[in-house]
Amino acid sequence: MISFILIILAATFFTGIIIRTKSIASGRKGPGIFQPLLDVIRLFNKGTVYSETSSFVFQIAPTIYFSSVFVAMLVVPFGQSKGFISFNGDFIFFAYVLGLGKFFSIIGAMDTGSSFGGMGASREALYSMFAEPAFFILMGSLALLTGYTSFQEIFSALHLGSSISYALAVMAAVVFLLIAMIENSRMPLDDTKTHLELTMVHEVMILDNSGFDLGLILSAGYLKFAMYGAIIFNLFSGTIGYKYAIPMFFAMQLLLAFIIGIIESFMARFRMNHNAQFIVVLSSVSLLIFFGALLVSGKFI
Amino acid sequence: MIELINLSWMIGLVAIVILYFVPIKIKSLTAIILIVANVLVTSALAFFVLNGQIVDFIFYGGHLFGDILISMDELSAWFILIINFTCITGILYGAGYLKTQHDSAKKLTFHWILIILLQLSMVWVCMIQHSLLFLIVWEIMSLSSVFLVIFDHHNPKIIKAGINYLVVMHIGMVFLTIGFIWLYFQTGSFSFDAFSTYFETQSNIGLFLVLFIGFGLKAGFVPLHSGLIQGDPAAPSHIAGIMSGVLVKLGIYGIFRVASYLKSDYLLLGEIIITIAVVTGLFGILNAAVHRNLKKMLAYCTVENIGTIGIGIGIGLVGLGSNSPILYYLGFGGALMHVLNHSLLKSLLFFSSGSVFQQTNTSDMEKLGGLIKKMPHTAFVYLLAAIGICGLPPFNGFVSEFLIYSGLIEGVKLNHPNEMILLSVSLAAMSVIGGLSIITFTKSFGTVFLGKARKEFSAEPQEVPLQMLIPQYAIIAVMLSVALVPQFYLQIIGNVIVGLSKSIVVQPPVAFTNYISIMGSISLYSILLIGSIFIFWSIRSFSLKGKSQVTLTTWQNAYLTSSSKMQYTGKSFTKTLSNMFNFIVIERKQYEELQTSEVFPKERKHASHYHDFFEFRFIHVVTNQLIYAANYFKFIQNGRVQSYVLYGIAFIITIFVLTFFNIVT
Repeated sequence: MISFILIILAATFFTGIIIRTKSIASGRKGPGIFQPLLDVIRLFNKGTVYSETSSFVFQIAPTIYFSSVFVAMLVVPFGQSKGFISFNGDFIFFAYVLGLGKFFSIIGAMDTGSSFGGMGASREALYSMFAEPAFFILMGSLALLTGYTSFQEIFSALHLGSSISYALAVMAAVVFLLIAMIENSRMPLDDTKTHLELTMVHEVMILDNSGFDLGLILSAGYLKFAMYGAIIFNLFSGTIGYKYAIPMFFAMQLLLAFIIGIIESFMARFRMNHNAQFIVVLSSVSLLIFFGALLVSGKFI
Repeated sequence: MIELINLSWMIGLVAIVILYFVPIKIKSLTAIILIVANVLVTSALAFFVLNGQIVDFIFYGGHLFGDILISMDELSAWFILIINFTCITGILYGAGYLKTQHDSAKKLTFHWILIILLQLSMVWVCMIQHSLLFLIVWEIMSLSSVFLVIFDHHNPKIIKAGINYLVVMHIGMVFLTIGFIWLYFQTGSFSFDAFSTYFETQSNIGLFLVLFIGFGLKAGFVPLHSGLIQGDPAAPSHIAGIMSGVLVKLGIYGIFRVASYLKSDYLLLGEIIITIAVVTGLFGILNAAVHRNLKKMLAYCTVENIGTIGIGIGIGLVGLGSNSPILYYLGFGGALMHVLNHSLLKSLLFFSSGSVFQQTNTSDMEKLGGLIKKMPHTAFVYLLAAIGICGLPPFNGFVSEFLIYSGLIEGVKLNHPNEMILLSVSLAAMSVIGGLSIITFTKSFGTVFLGKARKEFSAEPQEVPLQMLIPQYAIIAVMLSVALVPQFYLQIIGNVIVGLSKSIVVQPPVAFTNYISIMGSISLYSILLIGSIFIFWSIRSFSLKGKSQVTLTTWQNAYLTSSSKMQYTGKSFTKTLSNMFNFIVIERKQYEELQTSEVFPKERKHASHYHDFFEFRFIHVVTNQLIYAANYFKFIQNGRVQSYVLYGIAFIITIFVLTFFNIVT
């Protein structure tokens, strides 16, 4: 349960740090780091506007999207302590629960009958489809390396090996970071600041959402970032006690937010048709990890 | 027991006679009653078997057949129960579906008799342990399904699809016949037990692969899927549901049955099946994603699910080969579970899309839209089935997908580098299949049910009557029971698998029992998921109370004239995907280029079709060559009786001459 609370805490400032980093990098002062949180609270207090084309699917989709992230968060462990949900193969549940959220956010976007909603939905579905094998190969190779199949057992067993396992952990961290950026539709794939519907991915899906629903979608995005940050932290946490682990957790989250901010500041977005290639690269990094794991475990001659 | 077995075929025969004579008004009612009677009888037998009783019955079938063993083991019982359930929901739905069709009495009589035959033969295929009789019943099953496919025989496209289906089924029949004759000549016995003696002494690979092709043609493994994707979309929806739901599963039953007798070469056969299955899964779902015809999309999705089941079977065989009971249990267990789940989900999808077809008379997604407001129940049912078939929690699809995933991950931990690499590639493939399923079903649900209507229909689509909805909700009830109490079903599957392999008895390992309890806790977490949705929903409703709720037009980028034609279409939804994989999903367009001389262009047409890779690149190439070669022999069939008599005389003379010179004896 401790991971759950820590993720919520980290989510409050994660996106703020990204925005702050970007503004400092571009020479502006920028808003305070809790501004995204205040935005969401403001949205929660607002009324809503619905499209006359939409049905109950549009209304329930943000709730289901948020709940899926909420339940997925319960799976993530914190160092030695298990997540609220933990069993053999829990990462499959993790990926598929997030899939449910994605399913509803896509059909929610299609429910408005807009010319743009489907466009963004189709892109997001495609990108997350390409990112999926990277996640599964990565988890499969970690399972191979450690001999366990649940998040918590994998992460606690990961540190007993040699320095090569740390090299693998760094590569895994890169994969998770990029998955987080794909899942949240961040920079090299999608520009959150774009003003043209034709080039949007995630933003165009939520064009018609407003008020409470928009607040749910935004906060689910913040939670997702912190959730992947927690997974990356777990790759390195090892068996250290809470006294050091908790500060390390927040330091890690800050670092990740900073890295994402830097990437966003100094990288242009890709051309739409290059995105898929970029994401497939992720799977090849995962394959590298897989072969690395085979080598380390001595099963590969 | 014997009485019940005899009762089953007697009910079938009596039903055929009675149906012929009853008046048209009560024809469907009579058929339903008789099928229900037969279902009760055979299901009772299946329950006896699952409770540990032995149902064996030998009768003497004359000189040719010898002793015929009719026996029902746990495997048969599992399949029979699935068949019976889908048939019941199918005919109940079908009776409602046919009400609006106004078909002639003769056509309906024929239709119901065929359904009775189909149900009877499907159940009996699972019980017969005698290869010759098996082939005969298998043939009755194929033929009755072919005639059910061509119900709308006025439509030439449907006749063509039906003939294609007939041919493919008979190619499968040829392979099965070759396999069983091979077995007969090696062992001298028609009984299935002969497999044991054969596999003990001879190589397992050849015979298994021949029978795998035969059964694979029924199941629809790539590249043998042609019959499935032609036949199912052509059939009326209730038949398509039965065919996609259970008829193709009998191919899987056959593979299970033969695999249960295997004695060696498990690893190689497992690898072959996994490879084929992965290709099947990816190919099926990729095609399903791009097709715009709802029924065709569902048929391709069946191909994908057969791939998933195949991966499970492959894992099971790898488990046998590598002495890993947990792989054996997870693989075969996942496959059997997926057989159940897919039969529920696919029949439900076919039924609900059939309701759409009945109301709008089209299954082209691009002509539909906004049906959720006119047919809320159908939309709800389709949505649940779509979530289920994507394998997403909290529905039943996740249960079997989780078992197969667990099998793959347990397999990655094995100590065989070959299998490890193959299984981790399958793991990646499974996740791609999952992602593509989400694209496929968000596309179909989004275009058909959401947004605005794309076309005006002469008769406004309405919600279908209760008679058609009740069977669909019954399927949902069973789906939920699988999702919420998977332990119950897994215990049964555990019993099925213990007795499955005839060569080795593999006791369920502790790890499998652990997985059963894990499944139990997953169902709790699914409830947690549903619960959290409820909680957040009520928080939302509470917070929205007293706040302004305005309904306005959709954001059109300051373009206020909204038109339903401006909605994103299903085709464009998957356009990026199909461009990326244009070497597999082959798109052909038909249109005329605008000429420079045309100052005022006239109305013109633009059509695009997706071709099936294997049909387009291989099967059509071969058949075109065959037709080309056959053209040279056209002169033989010239229609003149005199020539035909001449051929006869020439034949007799040839035989006479050849025997005279002792060339043939």
